[in-house]
Amino acid sequence: MSTVELHAEVEAFLYREARLADEFQLDEWEALLTDDFHYWVPAGRIVGEPSEQLSYLNDNRARVATRIRQLKTGKRLSQLPISPMRRVISNVEVSDLGDDEITATANFVIYEVAAQSSGELRVWPGHAQYRLRRVDGVLQMSAKWVELVTAEIGQRNLTFLI
Amino acid sequence: MFTFMAIDYQQLVQGDRIHASLLHDPDAFAEEMDRIFIRGWVFVGHESEIKDQGDWVTRQLGNESVIMVREHDDSVNVLANRCAHRGTALCWEHQGNSSFFQCTYHNWRFGLDGAVRAIPFPDGYTNPKEQRGLDRAGQIDSYRGFVFVNLDGSAGPLDEHLGAAGYDLIDRLCDLSPTGRIDLSKGWIAHRVQSNWKLWPESDSDGYHVGFVHASMSAATDTYYDEVAVGGDAVSSSRAVDHGNGHVELDFRPSYKRELSWLGITRDKVKGYYEALVTRVGVESAEQMLWDGPPHAFLFPNLFLGELVVAIVEPLGPGEMIHRHTSVQFEGVEEGFNQRLLRQTEAAVGPASFITSDDAITAERIQAGVSGTRRSWAGENRGWIDLSRGLHREEVDETGTRSSDASDETTNRGFWRRYLELMTRRVSV
Repeated sequence: MSTVELHAEVEAFLYREARLADEFQLDEWEALLTDDFHYWVPAGRIVGEPSEQLSYLNDNRARVATRIRQLKTGKRLSQLPISPMRRVISNVEVSDLGDDEITATANFVIYEVAAQSSGELRVWPGHAQYRLRRVDGVLQMSAKWVELVTAEIGQRNLTFLI
Repeated sequence: MFTFMAIDYQQLVQGDRIHASLLHDPDAFAEEMDRIFIRGWVFVGHESEIKDQGDWVTRQLGNESVIMVREHDDSVNVLANRCAHRGTALCWEHQGNSSFFQCTYHNWRFGLDGAVRAIPFPDGYTNPKEQRGLDRAGQIDSYRGFVFVNLDGSAGPLDEHLGAAGYDLIDRLCDLSPTGRIDLSKGWIAHRVQSNWKLWPESDSDGYHVGFVHASMSAATDTYYDEVAVGGDAVSSSRAVDHGNGHVELDFRPSYKRELSWLGITRDKVKGYYEALVTRVGVESAEQMLWDGPPHAFLFPNLFLGELVVAIVEPLGPGEMIHRHTSVQFEGVEEGFNQRLLRQTEAAVGPASFITSDDAITAERIQAGVSGTRRSWAGENRGWIDLSRGLHREEVDETGTRSSDASDETTNRGFWRRYLELMTRRVSV
């Protein structure tokens, strides 16, 4: 596969992942994940060993399953109703690590309305690092690390899939 | 003629109800920042955050930004984050290490004790140097690493504020560490919430809401809250306790159905921890402590001890605040133990957590609900908030401690009782 083809394939994956998250298609989003998926939103920059830090979010595969189960109970107040939201992804860079392992990075901006309470528009700018793996010919996501521009000043509720 | 209508707190805070206007009134907020956050004792930070000489952190206490710093003699000092010359904030980072503080406006330099060290072109001044130091907290005191300040110095000793119960609550947390010392240096996470700050002392110590607000968590995963705080008086034996001075607790100890429930683990997984505890306190006490766990308590006005989480309530405005938390870390535990506490904290508390994110939404919904209420409605019987639950079954012991079923509003009433005392205390202006 050429670099251009790989780039196009990865971009398409990232756009799909973003759309599923925006639209709360939770089962479809979860189906993108490998069994060893790691989801991390640090309280500062992406640096150091995640397990040694206190983070906004640091989910192994079991905990992300709990996160999705909680959203699907229909009783999750902080997403009742779910946030209307759309994100824009740009500046995608792709590296082929060989052995069907790929990394990608991108910038994003999410626009979210806090429909559950004040109704304010919340803007979430940041940078994401993805780790992808080709399993039986299909791309899956084995890690998503998210560095928020606002990491050090604190956050409003972050109970959607970022 | 301009007339200022003083707020009649006696009318607005009653034994079984409070007036909702106190949750958004900017005049009340301004008076609270003065009477509670400047004239009273507040929690500022933990000594483990500033281990080495010159280590400092900044913190917001009401309207005041302060610097908590470890001095060259190892004592802890709390200074105004404000140059004594023209008022410029001295520190912009959350933390750092310095041997002095230097203002970026005219390069005035201050020691860690707040005294002025150097002023460029000093011949322009004739008054004594001693008059140009940084403002320092009027009283600074600490207990087992927890540092408290009273900014204006008028509040009486810390002993009086904490009382026996305040010390006991801190003891019950720290004693669970194999060395008796805890560490709070993993950093603080700020959860920004569009609510009045007083909704969080209430929410953090409210035992009535758990089965409703947190129903999605109970449905999605097993949690010890199911055994200690859900189901009300029909199921749990937990107690809501008002220790006096606004310090309140949800005492889960009677409800735990097994040891280490609060850690979500069995003893064989933390053998090293158990043995270290036995070495320090003996078998009998260690066994009891594994059952009892850490306290779930709120120390007036801004410190939450939430089992293995410590949080600070930071008011920013009548309808804006930060709930800032960190994870308790124990000294002298086996590898992996403290990582477990970090993961437990991330699950429970913060913007992306399974629990307090739903408390935040609830606080924001209360804020939306009360924001139209007016002080003048009190006499018309409009805009009241009911806090009467369990009044008929509240018990008072010989020390004056009130307790009732964990679902009762004893804790909420305890917070407001102290609030009323401080807001109506005679003070010099």
